[in-house]
Amino acid sequence: MLLELNNASRIIKSGGKKITLLDDINLTVEEGEFISLMGPSGSGKSTLLNCIGMLDNFTEGNYQFLDELVEQMKEKQRAKLYKEYIGFVFQAYHLIDELTVYENIETPLLYKSIKSSERKALVGDILDRFNIVGKKDLFPTQLSGGQQQLVGIARALIGKPKLILADEPTGNLNSKQSEEIMQLFSTLNKEGVTIIQATHSETNASYGSRIINLLDGSIVTD
Amino acid sequence: MIATHLRIGFRNIIKNKSFLALNAGGLIIGLTAVLLISLWVHSELSFNKSLTNYNDIAYVMQNITEGDEIRSYDTQPMQLAPVLRENYGNHFKYVATSTRDGRFDITYNEKILSIKGRFAEPDLTALLDLKMIVGNRDALTDISSVLISKNTAVTLFGIQDPIGKSFSFSPSMKVKVAGVYEDLSDNSSFDDMGFIAPWNLLKTTQGYEEKLGWGNFWFVVYTQLFDGTTTTKVSTLIKDIRKKHYPENTRESRMYLYPMSKWHLYSEFENGVSVGGRITNVTVFSIIGLFILLLACINFMNLSTANALKRTKEVGVRKTLGSSRKQLIMQFFTESIVIILFSFCIALVLAFILLPTFNTITLKEITIPFTEFSFWGVSLVIIVATAILSSLYPSIYLSGFKPVKVLKGLTSTNKNAVNIRKTLIVAQFTISGILIIGILTIMAQIDHAKDRPLGYNKDLLVSVPINSQKVRQSFEVIKSELLASKFIKQVTASNVTITKTNSTNGGDFDWKDKDPAMEPEFYTVRATHGFGEMIDWEILEGRDFSSDFPSDSLAFVANETAIKYMGLENPVGEYVRWNKNGNYKIIGVVKDMVTLSPFDPVVPSLYVLSQERFLNHVNIKIASSDSAIEGAITKMKAVFLKHNPENLFTYRFLDEQYQENFEEENRIAKLIGLFAIVAIFISCLGVLGLSTYMAIQRKKEIGIRKVLGASIQSIWQLLSKQFLVLVMISLIIAIPLGYYLASQWLEGYSYRININFGIISLAGIIVLGITLLTVSFQVIKVAIANPVNSLRSE
Repeated sequence: MLLELNNASRIIKSGGKKITLLDDINLTVEEGEFISLMGPSGSGKSTLLNCIGMLDNFTEGNYQFLDELVEQMKEKQRAKLYKEYIGFVFQAYHLIDELTVYENIETPLLYKSIKSSERKALVGDILDRFNIVGKKDLFPTQLSGGQQQLVGIARALIGKPKLILADEPTGNLNSKQSEEIMQLFSTLNKEGVTIIQATHSETNASYGSRIINLLDGSIVTD
Repeated sequence: MIATHLRIGFRNIIKNKSFLALNAGGLIIGLTAVLLISLWVHSELSFNKSLTNYNDIAYVMQNITEGDEIRSYDTQPMQLAPVLRENYGNHFKYVATSTRDGRFDITYNEKILSIKGRFAEPDLTALLDLKMIVGNRDALTDISSVLISKNTAVTLFGIQDPIGKSFSFSPSMKVKVAGVYEDLSDNSSFDDMGFIAPWNLLKTTQGYEEKLGWGNFWFVVYTQLFDGTTTTKVSTLIKDIRKKHYPENTRESRMYLYPMSKWHLYSEFENGVSVGGRITNVTVFSIIGLFILLLACINFMNLSTANALKRTKEVGVRKTLGSSRKQLIMQFFTESIVIILFSFCIALVLAFILLPTFNTITLKEITIPFTEFSFWGVSLVIIVATAILSSLYPSIYLSGFKPVKVLKGLTSTNKNAVNIRKTLIVAQFTISGILIIGILTIMAQIDHAKDRPLGYNKDLLVSVPINSQKVRQSFEVIKSELLASKFIKQVTASNVTITKTNSTNGGDFDWKDKDPAMEPEFYTVRATHGFGEMIDWEILEGRDFSSDFPSDSLAFVANETAIKYMGLENPVGEYVRWNKNGNYKIIGVVKDMVTLSPFDPVVPSLYVLSQERFLNHVNIKIASSDSAIEGAITKMKAVFLKHNPENLFTYRFLDEQYQENFEEENRIAKLIGLFAIVAIFISCLGVLGLSTYMAIQRKKEIGIRKVLGASIQSIWQLLSKQFLVLVMISLIIAIPLGYYLASQWLEGYSYRININFGIISLAGIIVLGITLLTVSFQVIKVAIANPVNSLRSE
């Protein structure tokens, strides 16, 4: 078991009113799964991803990640945990514009204090694997959307995470680029990486091994 | 990691050139100003410190009670030094009488040169620890020897060996060079002391022994104390020396030692107590320096946090990639340090380039002490202080963004941050406002004094100093020779020039109904016939001196202030007894004239026909015709050189001498003006930064408003209003503070302006105007933008 949510909710106050973003979620994710979160806008897909990724907190319930209770951890421990095990992929890629492709991919390794020689080797491997060696000195703005997302995924993978959280990873891409990215996710999943993606697209969802439908913050079907 | 930070820092700098220009620009200008001020303050504080015996040297001062006022004199009778040596020798390592710093005409090989130097007792050389290049510094015991500085040696003898060469101060004062010493530091009281000649030579040739007593304070008495004793201790021992040796004078007096550390910065005395002096400037400029550093830092903070908007995404992404907050703070801090170091280097170069100009304004010879460890130490302190002041907050602020929010594109309008930025802007404009009020006050005060009616006409008046007995004796001949020229209208002689009548006589005056307790003191101007007519003075009562009345040799013309001072109802015809000189009849009352500093009140003055021995200046009125000045000067030179070939011919235009009264004020006005401009400029950069930030923030709002039909003008109003409020708040703080500080400064002048509504409102208008201009620069750009673009970008 990679992670488990028990009666997890996220309720925030806005303008004096309580708004329930996530309502009583129960979910167990095993290692090696490829889960697609589906649902209309505002159903809570992104919030759930963010909470799982520890960028946000559940306000109620339990969240266990690798048998540790996340809500009891301090900010630092939490950061350490997600630094170690989680990689993020965003709809808008969120590459750092000031850094080259190479440096973007290298950044997570810097934060893990990995030695320079080892970093070189790791980044080199992944550039090779994603077939973007020729682009390593370019800046994000010089790449197409599909290429940028490829770099985004490479960056998410460089730290060898157990879990990849992808929020609409193909939302800004055309169908051909989307297919390539989803193929890549498939391959990664087969190699053992757990993936949770939020998506609107039935086609993309079909790549997954499990589909969870959300509506108004609750799981409708699993 | 650091290397990466640095690399990214550099890349960011190159990418955001306009941001860099604003941010580093402000910092560079600020740091340049701070560097110059620091160098100046350091130079002031280290004055005289290069002298070996700095801590043990003092000169003797005496406080004398005159009437209801205590006056402090830094010059002493020549009888003092021997007494100190004989009776208190166990406290003093050295005691040396010396003339004041002055210029003397030196004749060598038919050449005459005017060189600054002193006549002093031999121990002065040991006290100053003169470094000899050749010769022995004890040579002054021989009355015919002289020590000269390296500079003088080059000026007089060029590349020839100076030892054994002789020159003369006058036909009876011949000396032979016995040694050459290294010039003393520019930054000391002995900076251009070109020679030291034997005191005994001066004493014997001038007949001081017979002429001067305990009542003549003509000389400086330098002392060096033994280790283990202090000036305070010795001061209590010597305080009654004057009373003991000069019992016939009843005025209350006290002698004391004034240590070298105070000479330069605490030279002003009021009622017997040191009231500061140049230390005021040191304080004022230190504060201005701190202000400017603060302004530059505030600017940096403001612009960095405003610029942070562009980098929120980066912060969010980095956090999801595993960066801790500490690492982000480090990253932003490193980037700031890169900018600060970069700015400091450029500031250093700028300071280096500006230093000669700065030196001209400040009358200093400052150089940047690149080789001194302490300079780099201070630089490091400035850099670290700037870094902490300017970068800590932005780093913490930037690193605090929540990734979820910023990645969703929610640019959080952090109320706190905006308020902090507004507060900082208010602080900037408060400081600028104070400086503007300051500079306007100083300028108004200078103008006020310049416009002061003098009561006489100084135009086309030239004074030639009399430096030889020959000229004094042959004045009448010289006069008639000069008057033969059509370019010369009038010629008189006097003890002082009319623009600087600084000769006083105190004590023994008596007149009808004089308050017996009063110990009067008058400024006395001794002049030949025609003096008043020449300066175009205005006789209010009675008459001017006239050669028709031989009895005028015992007569006064008094100014209005003197009449008031004496309390005489009908002054003309009254008699005033002056020492043993006799009873002087007041023959006329002259309208008050500004004969000293125009910032000071008019002093009680008595004009008297002079005997020959008191004449120190020949005054010449040049005719007002074409090429008269040139013609007159040529004539004067010829006449004076004929009668006095041993001395250089020098002359001064009196209106130039009068202008010297404003030099100090002009200098301060220039400096404060310069720094005020720097302060305002930096503040404007801050406003520019904040308005840019605001424009980005409100782009969408402005777009919507324009779609709804808002005019450019209404948008301009909307956006400028906010800044007007900030400037208003600044002014509300700056005006009373500025008013207070300016009033304090004006306290030092008795002829002064009142800070009026005009100055205050002008300062307000300047600050408001500059702000609006700066804001409009940015705001109009946003206001005229096509709303379609700004709405699409959302």
